[in-house]
Amino acid sequence: MLCGIDLGSRNVKVALRDQDGSLSFHKFDTVSFYREHGRAVEGQLRVDFAALGLGVPERVVATGYGRQTINLQGAEIIPELKAHVLGAIQQTNLTDFTLLDLGGQDSKVVLVARGKMLDFQTNDKCAASTGRYLENMAAVLDIDLAELSRHYENPVDLSSTCAIFGETELIGKVVEGHTLASLAAGVNYTIFKRIKPMLKKLMSDTIVFTGGVARNQALVKILERELGVPVVVPTHPQFNGAIGCCSYALE
Amino acid sequence: MQKIGMTTTVPMEVIYAAGMIPVDLNNIFITHENPQSLVEEAEIAGYPRNLCAWIKGLYTTTLQNEDIRTIIAVTQGDCSNTHALMETLEMAGVKVIPFAFPFDRDYDLLKLQMEKLIESLGTSWEAVQRTKARLEQVRQRVKELDRLTWQGDRVSGWDNHLFQVSCSDFEGDPEAFASRLDTYLAELPQRNPIKADIRLAYIGVPPIMDDLYDYLEERGARVVFNEVQRQFTMPFAIDDIVEQYRTYSYPYGIFYRLEDITRELERRQVDGVIHYAQSFCYRQIEDLIIRQKLKYPILTLEGDKPNKLDARTRMRLDAFLDILR
Ligand code: SF4
Repeated sequence: MLCGIDLGSRNVKVALRDQDGSLSFHKFDTVSFYREHGRAVEGQLRVDFAALGLGVPERVVATGYGRQTINLQGAEIIPELKAHVLGAIQQTNLTDFTLLDLGGQDSKVVLVARGKMLDFQTNDKCAASTGRYLENMAAVLDIDLAELSRHYENPVDLSSTCAIFGETELIGKVVEGHTLASLAAGVNYTIFKRIKPMLKKLMSDTIVFTGGVARNQALVKILERELGVPVVVPTHPQFNGAIGCCSYALE
Repeated sequence: MQKIGMTTTVPMEVIYAAGMIPVDLNNIFITHENPQSLVEEAEIAGYPRNLCAWIKGLYTTTLQNEDIRTIIAVTQGDCSNTHALMETLEMAGVKVIPFAFPFDRDYDLLKLQMEKLIESLGTSWEAVQRTKARLEQVRQRVKELDRLTWQGDRVSGWDNHLFQVSCSDFEGDPEAFASRLDTYLAELPQRNPIKADIRLAYIGVPPIMDDLYDYLEERGARVVFNEVQRQFTMPFAIDDIVEQYRTYSYPYGIFYRLEDITRELERRQVDGVIHYAQSFCYRQIEDLIIRQKLKYPILTLEGDKPNKLDARTRMRLDAFLDILR
């Protein structure tokens, strides 16, 4: 069994690959993963895989935001973007695409050609186009993420460059009496507007969309409509990095 | 001897010729034991949060170093933030001497600027010319260090950065600096070669974090060209001192700088380029020109706070090295 771990800022995602190639997935809250299942041994983090119900993997490959600070014992560490590219290739069988990964706190765009990473962009010190923003805005609208993800028509115009000020602006729009549908669409559109410059620089014929935010169907529609290219969301968008680690372990 | 602060490189020959000691405020700021505290102090004084950390650091540094009551501020050829820095320092009782590098690299205008500096510090062209010859001795050695960086494998990117960046004021004592450098050069053959399969160029203002070079070397990549730092060493041996500061590329436009950059990238056989731009710096805009003009893989790095690389920047560096491999 091979184990791929993506140490995200909010969740730790684990993909396990059996001999027969079948994959299984596990997700843990990042803080409790470190606190309850890990312990520091000689400057390295030792994780009790058995206690996590993950069995005893032959090989562990890890990546993620935590990779700089956490030295996972017995794991081979690979760069985060590499893991995501490998995961996207594995999941889609595509080799030429623009990868868009929107996670809990960061956004990344990678241009991939013939299976290799050519160039990339990442957001700078701002969580305004990420999952955290969507969660906050859904809370303001008092709806869940599933409901938020349904709307993309007639968006209200939200300028906000900042996720926090964006809330105030949205409340203003609520007061103005816009429908819930266009308020939600406005929130989804804001994400698009923020990532558009990154995408424009690294466009190709197909977008592969991963990360937790990829479950937002409205955003998928907006991307397709605005950019005029197909948007492929793999079956396990959130586990893409972990799957990439498994592919690396296989190589 | 009187100390004269400066906001970036100016014709320091004039300062030494006047029997004074030039102090590059940037160097004191960044080698402070807690540079971020200096930035925060400037913010408490009222400097905006969304403003380049160098400017804020220079502000507090000047106020704290009470032996520096006169500074030469580069009002053209660096950013306009310097204007407001000057003004706030004047408010605090610091004497400010403005110095402008003419945008179009006009010889006569530059000469006039130097003339005014010579007058206000009370020295002469002859003394300046003599000082230039004296500094040339030191610059020759730095040039050798830079050559060994890209033609050899024992000078680390950090050492290359540090020695060259120090040439903006020679740490107030050119001869002492030279002898430190001599010791370094003499010990080089005993050093272990640096193992790195990727050769990088670093262009843009010097980094606000000090662990970049080591981080790269740990990952098998080394910097063999530090653009602006090298410029601080006056790499072109030119007799005419006005011409020397006209050829010096840092204070002039990006197109002129690119000529030097392109030449060196070619000569030094680099695999990729790191373009560093400070957060909130106008030079971030020039990144789009650099990307169009240089036919190399480019990573644009943004630095905000001193003193260490943040997790995001490290992730970006990893990805860049991965692309180059
Ligand atoms: S980094 Fe840019 S903004 Fe900061 S002092 Fe230098 S030129 Fe000005």
